[in-house]
Amino acid sequence: MASVLSSVRYLLADFIGEDDGPPPILPEGLPDAAVPVVTQGIYLLMEYQGSSYAQLYVDRLRRFIGRPGLDQKTLCEIARLMALRMSYQDPIRIAQLKLMEFENAAGVQGIASGDLVGKFRIDELIGALPAAVAELLLDLLQWLGWTHMPVSIRFSTKTRWGVRRLKIEASLRRWRLFSVRYAKERAWVERWLHMISRSLDKQPSAAPALVQTATMIDGYGDTYRQGVADWHAIIDGLAKPTFDGVLPLVDLAGAIAEARAAAVPDPRQVALKRTIAEIRARALAIGAEAAAG
Amino acid sequence: MRTMIPLRVFGIITNVVLIVSALPSRNYLVIIVQSLVLVLNSYRLHQMLQLVRDVKKSVSSDLSMDWLKPFMTERKYGAGEVLFYKDEKAEDMLYIVSGRFKLVESGMELPVGAIVGELGMLSPLKLRTQTLECVEPGVILSVSYRKVEELYVQNPAFGFYFLRLSSARLFENIAKLEQRLAQQSATAAMSASPTPA
Repeated sequence: MASVLSSVRYLLADFIGEDDGPPPILPEGLPDAAVPVVTQGIYLLMEYQGSSYAQLYVDRLRRFIGRPGLDQKTLCEIARLMALRMSYQDPIRIAQLKLMEFENAAGVQGIASGDLVGKFRIDELIGALPAAVAELLLDLLQWLGWTHMPVSIRFSTKTRWGVRRLKIEASLRRWRLFSVRYAKERAWVERWLHMISRSLDKQPSAAPALVQTATMIDGYGDTYRQGVADWHAIIDGLAKPTFDGVLPLVDLAGAIAEARAAAVPDPRQVALKRTIAEIRARALAIGAEAAAG
Repeated sequence: MRTMIPLRVFGIITNVVLIVSALPSRNYLVIIVQSLVLVLNSYRLHQMLQLVRDVKKSVSSDLSMDWLKPFMTERKYGAGEVLFYKDEKAEDMLYIVSGRFKLVESGMELPVGAIVGELGMLSPLKLRTQTLECVEPGVILSVSYRKVEELYVQNPAFGFYFLRLSSARLFENIAKLEQRLAQQSATAAMSASPTPA
């Protein structure tokens, strides 16, 4: 009977989306100092999604192992921050975390798990569904003009129904990699890694600052959207033009730090955009002077 | 019965037998269900046979990958959008329908009709070797490696011709590179030769 069930499970694996293979092997040539961070990253992503997702993490990291100009500390930071960004917080993840908290607290008397009310936008919620379904719904919402409608969701473990609901929400992880949100997160991680890589080629001293830009993005809802918008503003305004050779910015790390200091919670990004424009004007003036002199 | 084509043929025969046997008893439910499955089986068989025929034709003519179009999905891109980055894990094959797309590292612009990533599926690391950026808005058709692998596994004839086609395209690339190398060597030799006084 067990073998029949196992065969049926294998047959439906694509549909169910189960991904319970063994954890990936640590990449060859990984420095000893990075082993604990990478191992932690692998287990975090195994729990977040599955073994093939953890394998993707290892594959992404492999391109930096033994890379000239990259010290061990920066490599550890890439590994740590990449694992954090790859385990982004969507409603599925929040349900997973809440369930884990509930399971850990079970049996410990006196510890009651409180409710969590997540404030999302409706497009953010629908973005967690598989693209085939989500795209249709998003088109409909756009037509109705409701794309940015705020929605509050309660993640509760106080009742049996609450726990059951969390389990249903957490089970959606099986289709997470087909979601609209995943496509965006994947593009973000790849761009971040690409910028680090370009920095190592063009301006290695700025690489640690670029690695740390991942800390600008955190959480979900408005905080997350603000972080992503600020990050793109800094990369598009400073890092990319410097690597393309269009902006003669000698101290990119300093410029990133200055811009990050100006990034405050403001959807219009007034202060940040002004600071980026000032940095650019300064760099272009210095460049013009150097060319003339 | 291990591969898809004989299985579809067997399915069609079964559908016909069941429809015929349900006619005297006027079992409409069986007739309707079997008729629907018959249409589906016939369509998939036709698609599979057409695919093998087109790949086979492509191997002996222009090595094009147009036969993949029916299995591809359309995506629109705006100027400045990056389709993929260098060293990213390759997961799909792309076909440029319209617009302008540039390989950033080499500065090479890809023409309409170009296929990107067809050899990546067979390479061991499956990594993108360059960054592809959209210069002017355009449309791309894409098919995942998983889908091509599915076609490959379902149909040995397709698999065989697909391998021949990929190898032929690889040899064509090698020939182009050899030609470019020969040209560069000739130019270098010309510039190195002493000029008459």
